[in-house]
Amino acid sequence: MLVVGGGPAGMAAALHFARLQRERGGDPLTVAVLEKARDNGAHCLSGAVLDPSVLRELVPNCESLGVPLGTPVQDDRVMYFTPRKAIRFPITPPPLNNHGCYVTSLNRLVKWMADLAEKDGTHVFNGFAASELLYDGDRVVGVRTGDRGIGREGEQKSNFEPGVDIRATVTVLADGVRGNLTKTLVSRFDLSRDRLPQSYALGFKELWHVPPGRLTPGTVIHTLGHPLRFEEFGGGFLYALSAEEISVGFVVGLDYRDPLFDPHEAFQRFKMHPFVSSLLSAGQMTRYGAKALPEGGWHAIPKPYVDGAIIVGDAAGFVNSLRLKGIHLAMRTGMYAAEAAFEAVRANDPSAGQLSKFQELVDNGAVRHELYPVRNVHQSFAYGLPAGLIYAGLSLITKGWWMQDPMLAKAGHERLATVNGYYGQETPEMSSLKVDRSLTFDRLTNVHYSGTRHSEDQPSHLLVHDTDICRTRCRTEYRNPCLRFCPANVYEMVDADDGTGPRLQINASNCVHCKTCDIMDPYQIIDWVPPEGGGGPDYEGM
Amino acid sequence: MTTLVVAEQQNGTLNPTTWETVALAKGIGHPVTVVVLGADIETVADELVKANVDEVLVVEDSALEFYTADGFSMALEQVIRAEDPTLVLLSHTYQARDFAPALGARLGRTLLTDCTKVEVRDGVLIFTRPMFQGKMMADVRLTGPNPHLVTFQIGAAKVDNIDLGVSSAVRRSLGVTLATDQIRQRPELPFRETKQAVDLSQAERIVAVGRGIKSEEHLDLIRKFAVAMDAELAASRPICDAGWLPMDRQVGSSGQTVAPTLYFALGISGAIQHVVGMKGARTIVAINKDPDAPVFEIADYGIVGDLFEVVPAMIKALGE
Repeated sequence: MLVVGGGPAGMAAALHFARLQRERGGDPLTVAVLEKARDNGAHCLSGAVLDPSVLRELVPNCESLGVPLGTPVQDDRVMYFTPRKAIRFPITPPPLNNHGCYVTSLNRLVKWMADLAEKDGTHVFNGFAASELLYDGDRVVGVRTGDRGIGREGEQKSNFEPGVDIRATVTVLADGVRGNLTKTLVSRFDLSRDRLPQSYALGFKELWHVPPGRLTPGTVIHTLGHPLRFEEFGGGFLYALSAEEISVGFVVGLDYRDPLFDPHEAFQRFKMHPFVSSLLSAGQMTRYGAKALPEGGWHAIPKPYVDGAIIVGDAAGFVNSLRLKGIHLAMRTGMYAAEAAFEAVRANDPSAGQLSKFQELVDNGAVRHELYPVRNVHQSFAYGLPAGLIYAGLSLITKGWWMQDPMLAKAGHERLATVNGYYGQETPEMSSLKVDRSLTFDRLTNVHYSGTRHSEDQPSHLLVHDTDICRTRCRTEYRNPCLRFCPANVYEMVDADDGTGPRLQINASNCVHCKTCDIMDPYQIIDWVPPEGGGGPDYEGM
Repeated sequence: MTTLVVAEQQNGTLNPTTWETVALAKGIGHPVTVVVLGADIETVADELVKANVDEVLVVEDSALEFYTADGFSMALEQVIRAEDPTLVLLSHTYQARDFAPALGARLGRTLLTDCTKVEVRDGVLIFTRPMFQGKMMADVRLTGPNPHLVTFQIGAAKVDNIDLGVSSAVRRSLGVTLATDQIRQRPELPFRETKQAVDLSQAERIVAVGRGIKSEEHLDLIRKFAVAMDAELAASRPICDAGWLPMDRQVGSSGQTVAPTLYFALGISGAIQHVVGMKGARTIVAINKDPDAPVFEIADYGIVGDLFEVVPAMIKALGE
């Protein structure tokens, strides 16, 4: 079994596969995990509030093995922000009751899982990106890793080494949100047919070191409202990891209509709210990260299996957007994939028919039980925050029933309006928030704190198929929204030397691998492909 | 069972990496023969004879005076066919990289390159070589008919276990027939690097320029200023990214870290990625149009103004 992507889903698949071997015996089988990050867990970013139930099933003695679960949740609060005030919800809505959960560093947790998997005999190849799927006819038979040592102009450098083909009976795609291999697989076999288009959100997170006593360790606060308007989906979070460490984050639906909306700026404005700024004052931002997440829920999950391959975790969209959780579902689907793959390998039959065992496990187990009742929740927020909240509340009673089921949805980039379409003829002046570099930051400063590094001498891994559109159509129609939705200052419009007006400049080495541009670009001409293995952010401790 | 080591020499001087390969060959335990090729290589042969190997083969031919891939691979093919060693070892030098693949092809034998280690495990030779730019090490066992050709990375062995000064080796001359018309390469004078690589970290004064200069042609002005200041020229990332200055002049987190006594930041906003590379400078002077540019937070002297007015004025003042 080959696993592409060493996140919680991929590592759970590897760990569970090793366990099945131990328990059921038979000829020894090989498991390998490919991970594009230089260090295990370095590209994993989440809030994160972890529901540990699945982890305890995956590794029953995890506590005695020193699992870094983090801080137990002590206090749950949900608040509504007006521009100046914070109003606490009188009761914490049941889906946001995190009793028994932990405020966790996903990076540390995944690193721990990787170490455990290696002890189990799994080959974990970190620093290797899978660049394409290998097929035998229509059956997935493995992946090809990316070439190394390619120069900026595509030339082979002296340290060039071609990628290698890794063949496997079953390939498990755990390549995360908008995974590059999953994307090609879904389009090749039209796996999203009869499904809703996937909806996404973009999450920002900063770690802050603050004077002690601001929040009790284990405090979990979720906010709605300011700086977002009713029409924008999203909210903020504040998690106290310890007496002096707060994880501050903000999630914005990548289905906003206003083309001039700036998600990164919204995050800064969230921190400027008196409630948040008083918690962070005299503190210091120590880490930054940003990553997209799937929000579409049950109806947006593509058919997750084909001949020779299974899609798990965020790559398929197994996230509960009402509970704001996906790590436990990533692990659960990873375990299911291991189960289906193990039987397929033993039966020497990796056909889709055999691998449909995965779907069976999803349908008859905890995953569907959790996701089906909230299947329309994210879609209902397309009608605005009040409608979304009312529907989300009702769904707890109705088990998700709605007159129209599935509730229809549009892909986020199709909801984005043109400047004229949104503002009419009166186009507003562009103004950007002035940052103070102590509470609020510009993108470039933030990127520095993400630890992002790439080999500079390599071709851009952001393929913009027609940069003419950027300087002509997109400039007038949308005013280059990539400048605003990219959380890492990858895209810039700079004046061309020849006086022909601004041209697109791609600072690919700033990329934090969040995939937002691939998702949100209104013309869908940006393709995110993996850069040379080992490059990317370093979310240590995040 | 003999091991043949191919020595490398240039103009009668032995390349010291040859000693490393000799040391590795001796570690294997079979008799070691060293072969040296060229014209006028008596002194090199004398040196090799002292190295406590079993035999030194001297292949002298006027066609081998200058290195050519064809000449060396033809000559070595004949030597190897005549001597029939089990293993041929070379240093992984530029020269070996040039001809060893052709030699392997001529002999129809396996070539394993860039090894870092060799050891005998259960009577079998196991070579270790890096893969994927050193991310992994592969243990390789060679199969197929002898001889196997193997190159070793420079630094793969310590050379202190060579006993020099013991003259025990047999010295033997070996003739080869080289048809000069089959040597397709025409050697020219060896290339010498004339330009010294820039070492900004040693610079006393640095004039660094950023996106504020707008276009490449304005670099001339900055160059003039750098000359007037007797300073090295450096840049922030956008300048090197655009190819206006080479990468080795980039200061910052993806470039060099510098600590001169005087640092001029011209048209540099002061993004943290640049600042981490130069904040160790003793005195920082910043010129920028934007009074809110973060560079002013770390500058000892700041001039809010257009660098195209300020810099010419300073050049003029320095000239007076």
